[in-house]
Amino acid sequence: MHIVLRAHPIAKGKGEGKALVTREPLSFWGGVDVATGTIVDRNHELVGEKIVGRVLVFPTGKGSTAGSFRIYACAKRGTAPSAMINVRADPVVAVGAIISGIPLVDRVEKDPLSIIETGDYVVVDANNGLIKVIKKGSVA
Amino acid sequence: MYLSKEEEKILDGESGTALQNAMQILVAIGDIYGAERLIPISSAHLLTSYKSHEIFGIEWIEGFVEKGARAHPNVMVTTNPGSVDLERWREMEVSEDLVRYQARLNECYIRLGAVPLSSCIPYLLGNIPLYGEHYSWSGSSGQVFANSVLGARGNREGGIQSVASAIVGKTPLYGLHLEENRFGNVLVKLEGLDFKNLSPTDYAAIGYYVGKSIVDKIPVFVGGPNYMTLEQLRSIAYSVATAGSVPMFHWVGVTPEAKTLEIAFGHQKPEEKLTVGLLEAKKTYEELTTTGKCKVDAVIFGCPHCTINEIKEIAFLLKGRRIRKDVKLWVGTSMQVREVAKRMGLTDIIERAGGMVIADTCCGPSIPLEYVKSGIKVVATNSIKTAFYVPGTCKADVILLKTKDCIDLAVEEGG
Repeated sequence: MHIVLRAHPIAKGKGEGKALVTREPLSFWGGVDVATGTIVDRNHELVGEKIVGRVLVFPTGKGSTAGSFRIYACAKRGTAPSAMINVRADPVVAVGAIISGIPLVDRVEKDPLSIIETGDYVVVDANNGLIKVIKKGSVA
Repeated sequence: MYLSKEEEKILDGESGTALQNAMQILVAIGDIYGAERLIPISSAHLLTSYKSHEIFGIEWIEGFVEKGARAHPNVMVTTNPGSVDLERWREMEVSEDLVRYQARLNECYIRLGAVPLSSCIPYLLGNIPLYGEHYSWSGSSGQVFANSVLGARGNREGGIQSVASAIVGKTPLYGLHLEENRFGNVLVKLEGLDFKNLSPTDYAAIGYYVGKSIVDKIPVFVGGPNYMTLEQLRSIAYSVATAGSVPMFHWVGVTPEAKTLEIAFGHQKPEEKLTVGLLEAKKTYEELTTTGKCKVDAVIFGCPHCTINEIKEIAFLLKGRRIRKDVKLWVGTSMQVREVAKRMGLTDIIERAGGMVIADTCCGPSIPLEYVKSGIKVVATNSIKTAFYVPGTCKADVILLKTKDCIDLAVEEGG
């Protein structure tokens, strides 16, 4: 099953991969290990999960503005997500995505946290503001 | 957001990738905050400390400058403190790696076109946005000072956003750039305070309590004196911004957009009221002091960077006394102010007592205490901001005291 959703482009580009979804805001500063792309914030429900090559779906960013540099560091080390979807982007993640060349969209026409599940295959086209969701178990 | 033809071209990459990237950042931020358009700025102030960048930030800014990022000619661009005194780092006893990283950053921001003030008091050192002018500064104490005391207009923002604005020469029109968002919304009544005997630390203790209580709103102070020194105003500016994200304050009868209470509130009713007195100030001292010990390893002054008057006071208190050998006493300021203090014989007095006047380095959030080889476990400071950050960033305990009491802890018995 395919679902196509309109979204608001924040950082341009195209990226795709398996979705990693959380309902909790995410801090890249202190929350993600840049060497391995692993979420290390012990208070986060995704602790231990890898963001490398995933389409990261989360409500918004939080924490220090130095978090933008951490996103950049992930991108340079090849440990970054391939795209990000926010309910509503915050300046830390938005700036981080732009300087790192990671596609980022927000303000999706339907709640992405309800529609996209971890493991779905997701294509983010932030040039045209489109998200394609291929549900788990369906054929692309 | 509306973009002019010229701005569209920059966004399309016609002026190179660095400007394009900077424009993308501003457009995204403008979009997030619902800005109508971009407006020109006259002043930018950039974070440059190693501790705010780490190696990742160095990689980014080096790459950005390599791609051609340069400050816009219409913007006065200056730098915030680094994480070490590049001249006197040996005496600070910090690691050489830190010095190397900080030197790389400084060089990079100079190449970008910034004037390397390496200080958080640009408003005393030639980067002074005037009343009504728009600025893009990072570093919260300066941001709040410029909004509140100078009446210039800027938001609290992250370091990269200020870099982008400095390059494009513009910033998105939102938040405190707009007059309607600059009115107060919380009335703060000062009660039962003996203003003549309040130290700058006491003022900051009040400001900290207010900032923590109202988080991101704009306080209007009433019941205080009608005349305030620069140091007192600065104490309020940096302290309201420490615990929360208060972007400016009004002090009725003193700050330029608060000629009367009605004007400060934009003729609206306050959303909230707060009464602050001695008890609340005491709460700040208690909350930020993390140890009952009196044996300190370091005494830190200079967050924000000391004014010449503050250095004068410290020298006066230290004259003829001797600081214990196992205690570091750092007086942080800008290199210009240090030079003036030298000519006045003040640095001599401080150094003869066993202290040190350091320049170029942050004495608050980016202070390099954890890099000091001998190990710093307990710090006394007169700054609520140093006290707020040191336990988390330097893993040291803190005692918050006014200047005189800090010095008493540092000197030898009978000294």
